Amino acid sequence: MLLRRIYQFLMIYLLGVLCLLVIKVAADLSDYVIPGIDALWLSVRDVGWRYVVDVLDTLRVAVIGQVLSIGMALFIGILGRQATWFGSFIKVAAYNVQAYPIVAIAPIIFILLGDGFVSRLLIAAMICYFPLLLSVVGIMSQPIPDVEHFYRQTGRMRWQLEVKIRSFENLSKLTTVIVGSATLAMAGTIVAEFIAASAGIGYSIRIALYQSDLAKILVALFMIGITLSIYQGILEWVGSAVKKVWAR
Amino acid sequence: MGILTGRKVLMALLCIGLWLTVVDIGPLSADQAVSYRLKWLINMSTVGDVYAEAQGLFASEGLTVALKPGGPERDAIRELELGHADFGVASADQVIHALAKGSPVVVLAQLFQANPLQWIYFKDRVQIDTPADFKGKTVGVTFGKNDEIIMRTLLARAGVPESGVRLYSVRLDYTPFFSGRADLWPVYINSQGVEIGQRLEAAGERIAFFNPEAHGVRFVANSVVTSERLKSERPELVERFLRALLAGWQSAVDPANTETALAAVRQYDRDTTLEVLRAQLEATRPLIQSPGGPAVGYIDIAAWEQTEAMMRQYGQIDRAVDVGRRLRKP
Repeated sequence: MLLRRIYQFLMIYLLGVLCLLVIKVAADLSDYVIPGIDALWLSVRDVGWRYVVDVLDTLRVAVIGQVLSIGMALFIGILGRQATWFGSFIKVAAYNVQAYPIVAIAPIIFILLGDGFVSRLLIAAMICYFPLLLSVVGIMSQPIPDVEHFYRQTGRMRWQLEVKIRSFENLSKLTTVIVGSATLAMAGTIVAEFIAASAGIGYSIRIALYQSDLAKILVALFMIGITLSIYQGILEWVGSAVKKVWAR
Repeated sequence: MGILTGRKVLMALLCIGLWLTVVDIGPLSADQAVSYRLKWLINMSTVGDVYAEAQGLFASEGLTVALKPGGPERDAIRELELGHADFGVASADQVIHALAKGSPVVVLAQLFQANPLQWIYFKDRVQIDTPADFKGKTVGVTFGKNDEIIMRTLLARAGVPESGVRLYSVRLDYTPFFSGRADLWPVYINSQGVEIGQRLEAAGERIAFFNPEAHGVRFVANSVVTSERLKSERPELVERFLRALLAGWQSAVDPANTETALAAVRQYDRDTTLEVLRAQLEATRPLIQSPGGPAVGYIDIAAWEQTEAMMRQYGQIDRAVDVGRRLRKP
């Protein structure tokens, strides 16, 4: 699973770089527009290790942000799963908060909270929270009649049991959603760093952009892609392990 | 039969569409259409460009110019090479970066004779008379941009070790400066400098600006660029464009044309008040042409060479580009 994700990413990345090189040669473009192999290699040597550190810093924020948003989405999703007035209110409130684009809110967050860890974390959590919430609400609102009927008839159904049944029956869906949200958390953190932070790979990309250095940006994209592939592979592995343990 | 006719019509439309995309049918008007990518959004730093357009100076040279606002994600030099623009505005560091990577870019005119980049500070908090006074201060710089190079050069020349100054990463808002986390903050003296300066002075603050050029650090700012190919293949087009553009800048900074220049900028920049725009124009004039100074568009070769030397010294480029060869000869 993990290996498959890594080689799939490598294939996509190499194809992308190859396409750029074909365009470079076909249109006779300079290294300023599209860097050549030698320029890419020089950038790897110059900034490779620094970018590894930066991307790990970004991943750290993204993981914490993702965990927070999973917790938040589960909490709201469980509260909002019932077809009551309160359930409906929670859902509407959650949807409305998400209606504002994060790039519009981000500057306010940075002004109020500064350009440190908390702002990056908050933006990462906000970006990956909503798709998670939609899925959790969808899963938690959907009864599993075959299983739930027995407990309801015998009067043994409690909300914890209901959540457990619905989570277990939809574990594959939940795993897929959580793996997908890792991308969003990473993207959210990078956006936050790009806009205003002073650390992380997003910040390094911003500096490379100021220096018009596409080679550095390509190196950064590689680091982001490979790190994310490994992280997603690990999440998938954890998901299948949890399912096996639960199924015993 | 009906379907057949429909197919024929569809095929005809597809053929026309294909023909339109592959064949350069040229401008619809008799004028030569050219595209001009600015460095930033339209504001007072582009007054001459919009003046030339609004007053029909391009049209009088037989040109229809599409003025395209710039921004952080726009790069005029890349667009020149990709054929998306014919002319553009770029700062000297962009030009030198591009040359170091083999880009065939040439400089046609230097719009700013003095770099508008300066550092603002509160007089009641710090006293900055020379670069040596930076010692122990927190100075805002945009890492990766020209203000970082300028500041590092200033510090090196003043013999202030980098450990003696805290460089603070500049971001989109001024809160760190206002709240005192940074003692000095980089601004463009003719745009943000005017706007923020007026606001702070209205609030009773005493502010001042530190000008690197006054201490011998000359780093060239905005200049007009084109591709070597266009310059060699269409010299007459380049001359017509440049004539109209420099006439626009010349007129825009002439005090006699103040109202026309303000109206030209205001067409695009509706959020800035007329009073601020007026003060910005006043601050822009000496940057473009100082009394008794060289003509508008003059290329200061010595300043370009100093810019290249600074960039080499701080590792921004890994080889000499001999920038003087890429500057248009008068």
